[in-house]
Amino acid sequence: MSKFKKEGSGGAPTMNTASLPDIVFMLLFFFMVATTSKETDPTVEFESPTGTKTMDLTPYKQRSEIDFLYLGTPRNPNRVKAFKMGFALSLDNVVQATPDGLYPTNTVGRWKKDKFSQKPARMSAPIETVITCVKADRNAPSGLIFEIRKQLQDIEALTIAYSVRDKGNI
Amino acid sequence: MAKRDIPEINAGSMADIAFLLLLFFLVTTTMDKDQAYIRNIPKKIDVPPTDVKVQERDILAIKANNQNQLMVRDNIFSDPNKISEFILKFYKTNEQNNDVANNFPMYSSTTTSLCDQNMALLDQQLEEAEQKGAKDQAKFFQNSYDEWNKKKRAIQLYGKSEIRELSVQAHIRVEVQQGTAYSVFAQIHNEIEEALFELRDKECTRLFNEQYSILKRRAAQDSDPLDKDKLALLEILYPARIIEVTPKN
Repeated sequence: MSKFKKEGSGGAPTMNTASLPDIVFMLLFFFMVATTSKETDPTVEFESPTGTKTMDLTPYKQRSEIDFLYLGTPRNPNRVKAFKMGFALSLDNVVQATPDGLYPTNTVGRWKKDKFSQKPARMSAPIETVITCVKADRNAPSGLIFEIRKQLQDIEALTIAYSVRDKGNI
Repeated sequence: MAKRDIPEINAGSMADIAFLLLLFFLVTTTMDKDQAYIRNIPKKIDVPPTDVKVQERDILAIKANNQNQLMVRDNIFSDPNKISEFILKFYKTNEQNNDVANNFPMYSSTTTSLCDQNMALLDQQLEEAEQKGAKDQAKFFQNSYDEWNKKKRAIQLYGKSEIRELSVQAHIRVEVQQGTAYSVFAQIHNEIEEALFELRDKECTRLFNEQYSILKRRAAQDSDPLDKDKLALLEILYPARIIEVTPKN
């Protein structure tokens, strides 16, 4: 009956998605530029305290002149009691065992030395200037920090960084 | 010969590939930067020095106990944010005129001629040490020579014949106990850093007419020796001498 022919087949018109990859690539480049790669996913839980006027460690990371160690509560709540004061040290994703219930800090020196010997040959910085960054929970006891510090002093790794979250920088 | 059409490549899955890449970057990266306070650990010495007398006026002790209560120079501080103000007072009280009556560190004047004198003396000592073959001694003399040289350059940059310098023994002492929470420990360092930043920023604006943070960022990136000298001058004017005392209990 109809005099006019219907245009198309009646279904929804297809959308041109040719520019979709471009949009996604744009997003991709934004994330590539605006983020830095994660060091590791630490096996302990911690919440950093906040601070201002901090030093940005990104340049040191780019030169791999920095090692991170984490001090927090173990993820498994049943394990908390195994550590004195409930805080465990995580070095390269290995929570340090504490058979005697003592502070698990006596491995720090060896760990740092191993790390230093594994650095690429092009890196010429002496061990005194290679930063050890302590990422500790807000409630972690300072006594542990000083024990780590003493271990580092023994092997003459003389630069330490106390990690905080910058208030002004999200 | 008939012209053949170049077959078109189906780009429909390009978006999927890009999404995959995007997701990979989303998962493996973080937005937050690593921020920290960098401190130097003193070198271990076999023979501890015999009691060195440090005047009370030169010590600014910031203490925190197991209950996270703060004390600055034996006064209890309920508001930790006030510590930086006290540190400012520690640096600024005697900056213009020395007053023996107040309990704050003295300032002394360093002139270029004094730098020259010391450098000449150290040069001589360095030569003697090298002749004797005492390596450690030679290294020590070399370091002090470099320090005086740095100071001399700083005075020249300062634009005056002399510079007011804080007493060499003046220092900030961080004393915490075993059980003090890390947040309090970090807060103390935060306050120190805040005070130093304020002092240096003010001087930086006065002398070079630019912000300290901008100068610092630029000095980290470029190799202009003038920027490094400027930073050295500010560090000589307001030195960060921090001693962290290992807790005993």
